[in-house]
Parts: sequence; structure tokens; C-alpha cells
Amino acid sequence: MYPFQYHRPASTDVATRLRAEHEDGQYMAGGQTLIPVMKQRLAMPSDIVDLSGINDLAGISRNGDRLIIGAMTSHAVVAGSAEVSAAIPALASLADGIGDPHVRNRGTIGGSIANNDPAADYPAAVLGLGASVITERREIAGDDFFTDLFETALEDGELITAVAFPLPKRAGYAKFPNPASRYAVVGVMVAETVEGVRVAVTGAGPCVFRVGAMETALAGDFSPAALKGITVDASNLNNDIHASAEYRQHLVGVMAGRAVLAAG
Amino acid sequence: MPQISITVNGEARSAECAETTLLSHFLREHLGLTGTHIGCDTSQCGACVVHVDGHTVKSCTMLALQAEGADVTTIEGLADGDTLHPMQDAFRRHHGLQCGFCTPGMVMTAVAIVRDNPDIDETGVREALEGNICRCTGYQGIVEAILDVAKTMRA
Amino acid sequence: MNIPRIGDSQLRQEDFRFLTGRGTYIDDINLDGQVFAVVVRSPEAHAIIKTINTADALAVDGVLLVVTGKDWRDAGYGHIPSKSAVNKKRDGSPMNEPPRHALAIDRVRFVGEPVALVVAESLEAAQEAADLIDLDLETLPAVFEQRQARADGAPQIWDDIPGNLCLDFELGDKEGTDAAFAEADHVISLGVFNNRVTPAPIETRGVIADYDATSETFTLHNSTQNVHGNRDTMAQAVLGIPSEKLHHIAPDVGGGFGAKNSTYPEPLLMLHATRALGRPVKWINDRSGSQLGDTHGRDQYSTVELALKADGTFLALRTTTVGNIGAYCWTIGPFTPTGGSARTQGGPYRLPAMYYSAEAVFTNTQPTDPYRGAGRPEGSYMMERLVERAARQLGMDPLELRRKNLLTAEELPRKSPMGLDVDCGNFPIVFEQTLAMSDRPGFAARVAESAARGRKRGFAIAPYLECTGGGPKEHAGVTFSDDGRVRLAVGSQSTGMGHETALAQILAAQLGIAIENIDYVQGDTGATPIGGGHGGSRGMELGGNAVLQCAGEVIEKATALAAHLLQADADGIAFEDGLFRATATNRTLSMADVIAASLDPDRLPDDMSPGALDTASVFERGIISIPNGCHAAEVEVDPDTGVIDVVGFWVVDDFGTIINPMLADGQVMGGAVQGLGQALMEQIVYDADSGQLVTGSLMDYALPRADNVPHMELAYYEGAPTKKNPLGVKGAGEAGCCGAPPAIVNAVLDALNDLGVEDLEMPLTSEKVWRAIQDAKS
Repeated sequence: MYPFQYHRPASTDVATRLRAEHEDGQYMAGGQTLIPVMKQRLAMPSDIVDLSGINDLAGISRNGDRLIIGAMTSHAVVAGSAEVSAAIPALASLADGIGDPHVRNRGTIGGSIANNDPAADYPAAVLGLGASVITERREIAGDDFFTDLFETALEDGELITAVAFPLPKRAGYAKFPNPASRYAVVGVMVAETVEGVRVAVTGAGPCVFRVGAMETALAGDFSPAALKGITVDASNLNNDIHASAEYRQHLVGVMAGRAVLAAG
Repeated sequence: MPQISITVNGEARSAECAETTLLSHFLREHLGLTGTHIGCDTSQCGACVVHVDGHTVKSCTMLALQAEGADVTTIEGLADGDTLHPMQDAFRRHHGLQCGFCTPGMVMTAVAIVRDNPDIDETGVREALEGNICRCTGYQGIVEAILDVAKTMRA
Repeated sequence: MNIPRIGDSQLRQEDFRFLTGRGTYIDDINLDGQVFAVVVRSPEAHAIIKTINTADALAVDGVLLVVTGKDWRDAGYGHIPSKSAVNKKRDGSPMNEPPRHALAIDRVRFVGEPVALVVAESLEAAQEAADLIDLDLETLPAVFEQRQARADGAPQIWDDIPGNLCLDFELGDKEGTDAAFAEADHVISLGVFNNRVTPAPIETRGVIADYDATSETFTLHNSTQNVHGNRDTMAQAVLGIPSEKLHHIAPDVGGGFGAKNSTYPEPLLMLHATRALGRPVKWINDRSGSQLGDTHGRDQYSTVELALKADGTFLALRTTTVGNIGAYCWTIGPFTPTGGSARTQGGPYRLPAMYYSAEAVFTNTQPTDPYRGAGRPEGSYMMERLVERAARQLGMDPLELRRKNLLTAEELPRKSPMGLDVDCGNFPIVFEQTLAMSDRPGFAARVAESAARGRKRGFAIAPYLECTGGGPKEHAGVTFSDDGRVRLAVGSQSTGMGHETALAQILAAQLGIAIENIDYVQGDTGATPIGGGHGGSRGMELGGNAVLQCAGEVIEKATALAAHLLQADADGIAFEDGLFRATATNRTLSMADVIAASLDPDRLPDDMSPGALDTASVFERGIISIPNGCHAAEVEVDPDTGVIDVVGFWVVDDFGTIINPMLADGQVMGGAVQGLGQALMEQIVYDADSGQLVTGSLMDYALPRADNVPHMELAYYEGAPTKKNPLGVKGAGEAGCCGAPPAIVNAVLDALNDLGVEDLEMPLTSEKVWRAIQDAKS
């Protein structure tokens, strides 16, 4: 690991100020991605601003028809939360399938979506459920948040404080895990929301994406049968030793169908 | 150099600690608690699992400074003198270890599994071991040890 | 006080330290004044080393030493020799063995090959300096796959080795086999690939080397499976010093499976560095270095052919194999695809004629060496895939075809056409017992139940026959001390198998003493004069029999002493259950009494002195034993995704005498799960263009986890202890890897049979299975 300065502020204000003071600094949430990357000397932040000391950033609350999850809430807490399970069971189930139990105890929703790993699960939840990302500056619609491979709409130094999930009528998530890393080779979140049906796919492409044709079909008939014959364009999909683009294309259809079934 | 104060196996410990020091490294090199092992670079194997404030974590994927003020339990903190913890004893009775290298992380994970879910079944145990790799045993002895302890806890 | 018997599931002595975090593995050892080393590895698969600029690395604060291949050459060290038992070509000329050094000198030949060593006061400084080693490489064309390496015009890995051929090899009766094929009613042919995998012990390798200039002696702490053999190679062949100048110690070793057998570059580099610096040098591999630079296993392409009569009777087996041994011969790499796979060809079947021919081929990859089974799992996989194919192709019941051709107990002993001495066993009983355990009557209902969930269910059974190997001699030494402790030092070595318990159990059982009083010592060239380490399932066969023999000699001496103490003649003393009894007077003495007396000058006869019972003994194996058994698997396949779930697994093994059933179970299950890993998910992948290792971490190299593994049911056939050794043991360590892959792969093919899938290549990844289903549809 390259040397860095370590800060553990107790408030969002101090955190953002520290981050602003250090051009090559970086926020650290659960560290489950950042620390391995630093260990392999693939990142050399000058300063680490550890967010774990900011109590306001963790926690789950209900605000009308929105479920608010603090950015520093761990996957394990989301997975085990009665509130989440009652409001959006698919979200609890998604969180329960991230990484492994130890990673879930440290990893956070804010860290996951800020990193926007193409194989991470949470981006599918944010996009598929039509959630909004709340920062210390603004609220960003999920549709606008994930911009490209490891890229988001966050500005330099902008800090995610929470994610707000509107309650869907029903939703389901199905994941096809990589046998080695257990990241998503393909993960599909299907939700029937107040605004309509949403289908978001992670793992398959360089960045989470929606599948309009599936959304239209499911709006007419919310059943796996409605998805028959609908495929995504394989030319934009990832291709690696675990799954070719063609196989991912196929899995998107299978996982979407299983997500519909999971949604009930 | 920053200072760290943590409680390890019930004992308050303070030490100087570089920012780059991982919790696993701190436990092994600074405190001499070499039961916590390192088996991979990428947070897969789980040989380094310890409890931090009661939660299992991969100590190779946590900065020591992040554990400031925390209560840490390692494999060295389980047995009561010469009396093995019930999970350690069950691993021995069910031959849940061979080379012993993954064992500390396995046992720490196992303790948390039955604490959090004493009603767990075999499928549940196998899923709960997702973050720990054993190359020797084929897992069956480990799974049987955990189910045995869970059964005893339910009785 | 616990006096176990042979055959008891004695709980392990070593567990207390392992379970409480008090094991001592290599990275737990630190020596005063130690410095830290990093090995710089080649980033290219094949290239000329033009220059290595070390100036920037040497300028890093705290850097003490940088060593390159030229430095190594200039130091005048010898090559690291191969010890392959098969080392001659078909024409009798020596195999092509290119020189292997601890560092590449003028050319790199695989990604990961060590090119430089950096030593510094801290690991961080060494890492920083390693990043600054400036390699100027001129890329050469490279080849990674063995059949391509044999093709005309393939890149030459060694200028003086045409066709990249290390050696060719044959075994068996070519004419007789060809004649049988000519007369056969059916000939079944199959191409089989045995995928390249890595042993992946969870503890990576590591070394601490320390040099004492006064005595000119090295002490090498090394996470190795074989201290004596590697000591001799390093000292005599490379360093040019007598073996006694190198004290080689293996601490607790966190798994090996073959990966820690070899003579590696890194211990030699650390020996060089500690002598150069006069300080202890520590090197601990990381997982990336382990994936790159630990020996890989398997990697054989084979064509297997079976000649049958119309009624299914086997007539002959013919095999052609091309093994990929990587860029060097390494330690015994050339043996695996040649002698290693040849000996057990044909498995437990009645095959009147067999012929095996093979080539061991160089490629631009990390060399292969034995991995759990070292050729026998490959042979077993070929045979069982071929038998299953024959049954399918001829429309015969796979079970009946096997029944018809399994050797019966009455046909043993028998010398196989490959020269293997198959002395005893009952293959049909083992086969039927495995079937009985696997609930065949309930299978149809389970198939229907799976089908209702859209899943395809399949079953297969795989009888196997293998053989032991490894060093043919073993030392056991027993010394008694007056505090009641008994020291047992053995030259075989556990890297997790539990010798500390099993070997102590044999001694305790024979002498009638408490196992808790035995202090077990292994893995130390200072503790035993010779030792064969770990490999070839030799632990009980060599180590166990050495302890038995040693115990017998102790009892002989103790009987003489008991006679003196009981004032009787030696032939008037009976020894049973730890008690010496004078048959004439019925007076008794316990073994503990006699041991105590043996340390008391006042109680000894004139011709004995204190320590009279201390005994050292060397056991020499006559003929290797023949472990055999049968694995059966039931699988469920999701045809929509290609995902395989192994839902049932049954094993019956004939290991002869079982010393400790609990430990035997552990060996079987651990081996079977490594076999499952090879069958379903494990695969070393080099990029086909660049030769970069794609599976460089456990993020991409899939190891089986608990949820990939079914509950297994095990049993033993104990009706045929071998007479080849006094204990009657047959070796249990590697059998699991022989049975599981064919059982699982054939079960998947059974599940997919009605979809038209006829062949699948390991590992059976979900995409491969899905594609095979799609291809069969179209």
C-alpha cells in the first residue's frame, strides 16, 4: 500500500471539507473494494477520509412512500432489516446476496453505488427501483446517476448521504453469481412501480442499464412468459472467461424471468 | 505516527500504528496474535476473519485505524484457558480441520453463524460459509461441527 | 490416559494448537534482524532479456540487495535438476532437460518466471524497489498449448530442443494391442482433456533463510512438503555444499497437495541473499505469486480407444497423450503425463492388452508438477469417460458393462499389462456396495421430481484403481526421556493429513502407551537422517510401517529388559496390551515401568545403558500398493443456465487396513472436493495471445466452497489388507481425486443424454454446459 494520511471525521461537513482540501484524497465507506485495490497498489490516494465515524450517515427510515437508507448502512443491516423486508423485500434479498457475510458486515450501499462496479448488485436496485441518490448537495435520480464503467454523476468531492427508494408495488431480483468472485455475472431487478415497470440489469454490460422492451412487455403482462423472445444487444455486453457476451445475453433473459417470479 | 487504542480479546491495547497497517497485520505483527492468517490478496479466502464489535470481518480488508475503539475477538480469545470453546471442540470432534490454516477464520465465522441463527440447517450453514475457503477438508466436518453446536444451543 | 488401537478414530493431537491459533506456520516465524525479500516476475511469456536496470531500485531507501540472472550466473551456481523417474526417450537417449536456474538469465519463458530478487529493510521498501526494476525485453513468439507447441513452425522455446519435445514415452504391448483392435467387433474412441489446475493450498509458500558465517551453515525455514529431498538438491546440485551445511526445517505447513513438493527458485534466492547480507531473509508469497509461480497440475490431451467384443467384453486399451509440462522440466514434471498416467491404465478392469504412448511437451507456461494423484486421476478420468462412452454408443447399460469387465477377487493377484502388481481387493463388491448406498431404486422418482422443477437429473458411477508412490524409504526414531515423554521423529511429513496423530497412534497402540505422552517431530533434517516427506499417498505406507517396525524393535529390547527386571528368560516374557508378563511367575511390568527402568542406571543389566530403548529404524517398501474404490455422483442440471448442482455423492474405498477412519474420511472428502473443483470450476487460463495469466487471483480462479459441495457418504471395504507391507495399508491420500471427476462428469452427461449432449470438457462451467445444450438442439 502506498502511504496516505488517514482522517475519520465525525460529521459530513468536516468530511467534505477534508476531501476538498486534498485534491488526491478519497472517501472510504466500508473499504471492501478500495482496500483490496490499495493493497494491490492500483490506487494511491493522498488522503483517506473514513466515513465510518459519521453516525448520521447510517440508518434506515421510512419517509412517506420512500424508504431512506443512509449511505453508510452495511449490506448486512439492510439484509436483516425488518423495515426493508416489509417495504421492499427484493432489496433485502439483493443485499443478502452481496459478496459474502463478512463483506456484508463492512460494505455499504453508498460505497457500492459510488464505485459503480459493473458487476455490483446495488446499481441494479437503484436503477431498477427508480431510487434517488441523495448527496450533501442535491438529489440525483437513479436514471441519471450511473454514467459509465466505474463512472457516476457525482462531482469531485460530492458525498452520498443516503439513497431514497420509492416503494414499488412489487419487485424481484435474480442474480447469477460468478463462481469465483461471487459478483454478479448478470443481475436483474424487475419492479412494478407507481410510475410503471422498470427492469435494470447489472453485471452484463460496462454499466447498469434498463431494458425498455422488457419493461413494455411486463407492463402489459407481468409474467415471465411476456419476456419470451426479448433480448438485449449482445454487442454491448461484457465478455470474459466466466461468460461470453452471448451467454450474458441469454442470462439476462433467464434472470429477468426469475426476477419476475421472485416479485410474485 | 497515529496511535490506536482497541480492546483485543478483552484486553485494552494501545500502540503506534501506520495508516497503511491492516487490522490483520496489526494483530499479527504488533500484538503477536499470529492465529489470524492471510491466504489471499483479494478478500476471498476468509482465513483472516475476526470479530469486530461482534461482527465477522475480513481483517485483511480493514485498516487497523478503522478499528479504533472497537472490541476485537480473535481465535486466541475463544478458549477458556485449556478448555476449548464449544465450537473449537466440535471442530476437533468432527475433524473439521486438517492443515489448520483456514481454521481460525472458519471457527470465528462458525461462532457467529450459530450465535445469529441457532435454527440453521445444513443448506444454511453451507451458504453462511460462502466467505471462507478450505482446501483440505471438503467442508463436511466443518458443516457437521457447526450443526452440532447449533443443536446443542437449541437443546 | 488414552491408549488408542489401530483402527480407532483417535481425535487429533495437533488440533489443540491449530484451533487456538497457536500453530506455527512460516509467516509466524520472525528472526532477529531479518530483512524482507520480493521476487520480481516476468511480465512476458517469451522474451529476450536485453537489460535489467536496477539503479532506481537500488536507490530506494532501505534497499540492501538486488540480484538478477546475470548475478546468479556469475555466482556459479548449478542447475536445479529434474528428478523425474521417467527421464529417457523412447530410443533410450536422455530426455531434453534445459537448464533451470533460480532466475531467468538471458531469456524469460513464461509469465511469472522470476527475473530478479530485491531485499530491503522493510517489505514496503522491497515492494517499492521491485516496481522500479526496469526490464528491457524483446518479445518473442510464444506458444501455450501442447498440441500447438508440437505443430510444424511452432515457436521454439529452447533453441536446441526441436519440436518442443522433452521426451516421448511408451509402455505396454503395442503389437498385442494393435492385434486385439484389428480383431475387435467394436472400437470406441474418445478425445479427453484433463484441464490445467493449481493445487492452491490456502497457505502460500514462504521462506526464512539464515546463514551462520562461522560454521558456514544455512538454516532454512521453508513451507515445503519435503525437507530432505529438497535439501540435497539445493545443497549438492545448486549451492555446491555438503547437505549437512543446510539445515532444512518445515514448520506447520498449511496444505500442499503437490504444490510444495518441488525445488523452487525462491528458497535458493533467499539462501543466496542471507549469505550475501549476513542477515536472515524472509520471503512470503502472495496469492498472485502463488497462482503464477506455484507448479500447476494435470494438463493432458489424450486420445483413448477401447476394443470390445460384440458382447461388451473389453479386449484392449490404447492411449495417446500429450502432456503440457510448461517451460522447464521442473522437479518431476515429465513423469506425470508419462509414467504417472501409464501405470494404472485400464483401472480395475480386465484388459488383456494395453498400450500407452505419450509426449511431454514444453510451452510458455508455468511448469506442471505432481498435483494430488500425479497422473493417476488423469488415467482414471480417461478410462471412465471411455467406458461410459462405449456403453452409450453400443446401447448397453453402463452399470452392466462395468460389471462384466471388472476384475474379480479370484483373478487376483495379477500383473497388469502395464506391469502393475495388483495383489488384492474385491472390485465387484466395492462396486455393488457403492450402488447400494446410492439408492438406485429411488432414482426414477428423483428424476421426476427434478423434472417437475425444470431440472435434469443424472447419475454415474466410477470405479477407480490407483497406486502409491513417493520415496521408497522412511525413517522413524523413538527416544524416551525420564519425564515420561516419548519423542517420535519420522521423515514422512503431514501438511494437514494428521500424521502427528496417526503415526503416534500406531506407536501408542504397539507399545501400549498414552498417545498424549508422545511428542511428534517431522519436517526437520536435523531430526531424522533421511525422510521422504509427503507425496504419493506414502504417509501410512512408508511412515506408518516405519513406526510399526521401530515399535517392534523397541518391544524386542524392552522384552529383554523386562526379562532382566522380572528375573526371567526373554523367551519366557509375553507382551500384550502394554504389559510384560513372565509366563512362569505371572509377574508383570507395564511398558511405562520398563521405559522408566531403561533410564535408570541402577535397574539396567550390564549390557544396557540409560536410553537403551531408544531406537531408530528405516523401513523400505517392497512394492507399491494398489488403493482402489468406487465413487458415485448424482447431479442436477439447470438447462436454462447450465448450472450444475452435485446433489449426491457416495464413496467406497479399499485402502487395506484403516489406521484411523476419521482421518481417512478427511482424506477422501478433501480429495473428492478437489476432484469436484477440477470437474466443475477450476481452470488455469493463459491468454491465448499474450500468455498473461487470466486466472491470477481467487477472483477469477474458482475454488469449491461449502455451498458447491454435497453431503458425502463414505464406507470402506476392509476385506483385503495388502500383504505388501506389514500394516496392510494401501495409501489413502490421493484416491479422492481419481474417482470424483469421472463420476461427476459422467453424471452430467447422463443428465443431458436425452438432450443429445454427448461430450463435455472439464471444467463443466455453466456456459460450456449451456452451449452444449444449445448445440445439441441445433
